[in-house]
Amino acid sequence: MESVKHINKRAVASMGILALLIVLSFFISLNMGYIRIAPIDVIKVFIGAGTEENQLVLFDFRLPRMVIALLIGAGLAVSGAILQGVAQNGLADPGILGINAGAGLAVVLFIFFVQGTSSGLGMLSIFVMPLAALAGGMLAASLIYALAWKKGVTPVRLILVGIGINAAFGAALIIFQLKMNPRDFMQATIWLSGSIWATNWKFVVAMLPWIIILIPYTFYKARYLNVLSLGDHTAVGLGAAVEKERRILLLTAVALAGSCVAMGGGIAFLGLVAPHLARRIVGPKHEMLLPSTALMGALLLLVSDTIARNILSPSEIPVGLVVSALGAPYFIYLLIKTN
Amino acid sequence: MNRKVKSAIILNLLLCVILLVSACSTSSNTSTASDNASTSETTETTQPTERILEDAMGNEVEIPANPQSIIASYLEDHLVALGVKPAAQWSIADGTSVQNYLQDSLNEIPTIPSDLPFEAVMSFSPDLILMDTAGMVEGDKYEQYSKIAPTYVVASDEDNDWRKKLLRIGEVLNKSDEAKEVLENYDLKAKEAKEQLEQEIGTKPVAILWVTAKSIYVPNVNLSSGAVLYGDLGLTAPQAIQEVSETGTANWNALSLEKLAEMEAEYVFIVNGKGVTKDELLQDPVWAGIPAVKNGRVYEYDKQASWLYTGAIANLQMIDNVMESILK
Repeated sequence: MESVKHINKRAVASMGILALLIVLSFFISLNMGYIRIAPIDVIKVFIGAGTEENQLVLFDFRLPRMVIALLIGAGLAVSGAILQGVAQNGLADPGILGINAGAGLAVVLFIFFVQGTSSGLGMLSIFVMPLAALAGGMLAASLIYALAWKKGVTPVRLILVGIGINAAFGAALIIFQLKMNPRDFMQATIWLSGSIWATNWKFVVAMLPWIIILIPYTFYKARYLNVLSLGDHTAVGLGAAVEKERRILLLTAVALAGSCVAMGGGIAFLGLVAPHLARRIVGPKHEMLLPSTALMGALLLLVSDTIARNILSPSEIPVGLVVSALGAPYFIYLLIKTN
Repeated sequence: MNRKVKSAIILNLLLCVILLVSACSTSSNTSTASDNASTSETTETTQPTERILEDAMGNEVEIPANPQSIIASYLEDHLVALGVKPAAQWSIADGTSVQNYLQDSLNEIPTIPSDLPFEAVMSFSPDLILMDTAGMVEGDKYEQYSKIAPTYVVASDEDNDWRKKLLRIGEVLNKSDEAKEVLENYDLKAKEAKEQLEQEIGTKPVAILWVTAKSIYVPNVNLSSGAVLYGDLGLTAPQAIQEVSETGTANWNALSLEKLAEMEAEYVFIVNGKGVTKDELLQDPVWAGIPAVKNGRVYEYDKQASWLYTGAIANLQMIDNVMESILK
């Protein structure tokens, strides 16, 4: 008992530090950008005494984007943590399993067929887009689940089939993209590599319910993830309805990843790296792991986006590229270590 | 080099924003400058008033009476034609690549990235933003831009007609008469050139070939430089280019090497984006059968010339290029 208590204390302290880092990065990020705004002017804007121009930059350009970064970061990270728990494999991630690709394909199809490019995105499409992404992600997940089924689903089959599905959806995306005109192609490419620069408050509003409902729900399901991680035999022995819980958890992961992809495009590696980093700090217990994963993901994406916004300023690079640049080396390190 | 060319072309299809240069870029100075300008305007000429115009997306846009700092996305050609200096000019590759053919008029103008990040746009304190097509403001960006300044979308994505764009920009900038004059002068010059060319070369086929590292492209006969040479100047396109135009609806479409080898062109204009000299290029035996190559009637223009662009200025430069090449 004593040691459990000790670990929990450490975990809570770590989460406190993570939260603190987020707040810190938040204020640093708020200050950084092509238009220089001194910290004192930032404070002025927040107490309502700033210039109109600064107010526009902070409230309409920087803040919504940073909030979206936090939400997407948390969503993708938790989605990855669930998948890693369900698949009992540290290499699972919505990007690698093809869920992002499925959601991405659905969104690209939605943008170019349903909505067309000639009109601006209406309020309705912003709210429908996560649903389209969810449908695409669900399609990918159902395919993975169905194809991996052989009198039940084994985690290894889940991963291998997922990688195959990812390749298939990626190919479908390319076929579709080749049929686009060059400008649409560019747009789709930028979007698919993960870009959140055109964000405004509407996107935040559309995104918020998904995150607010789904992430606490996964916290509630944490104990099932603990049991599932022990392996199917043990889990069944402990009385868990393994297949049922696995399906519910998969669905939650897909919904989280889908809504994130709808808003931010295919941001790879975040769902992989964040749970691993969190696990290093707080250990494998999902009650602690999931919240710290959420914090870690939010922090990573916020920092990545700040880099994406500023490194080539005033030009911007898609945030997904920054995450990949940071995430890929870690992924390779992980592969080497696993062997 | 070639990658730059390629992305330049893709980005050609994207829109870019031109910012009008104001004396100073800080907002306080700019507003002082425009105050002064409008005050003096009242005494000198009839004061233009603020108008509300409907743009290509159906937005009601409040156009300021006398915009001082205009960002006009990839529309520099039209602005230069109307004698208006933008506040900033389109660029890619971190400001290193601009529209070279306009630099006589734009060389002092600062650059802005072609994807128009909000804060970069805002740093020029524009009082009017012109967007080339609706695609530039997709995904609700229109709303964000219009918070910076009134934002007018010039054309829908399908609309590729430079004359219409010029006239519309003329209307927005209160320079409709100037825009019409630009068109009249252009048509006049094109007509003269056409008559001279008719006498000189008749219906001998003339090819435009854009040579890049990997492929050779020809224009659609109704678009881009195709519209100028085969439309305005009445030149005859070789069979291969006519065939490609029937299916290829892009400005430029790839041409197979077989078609190139059989091309019956008497005159060839090469837009060279390959990074080798014309002589090196023509050593490739695939070119040997083309009549123009045999007779030394191959004219080379750099990809930085106006051939890959469209607009009154770009087209006039193309006409000059054609005349100086064929009639010399």
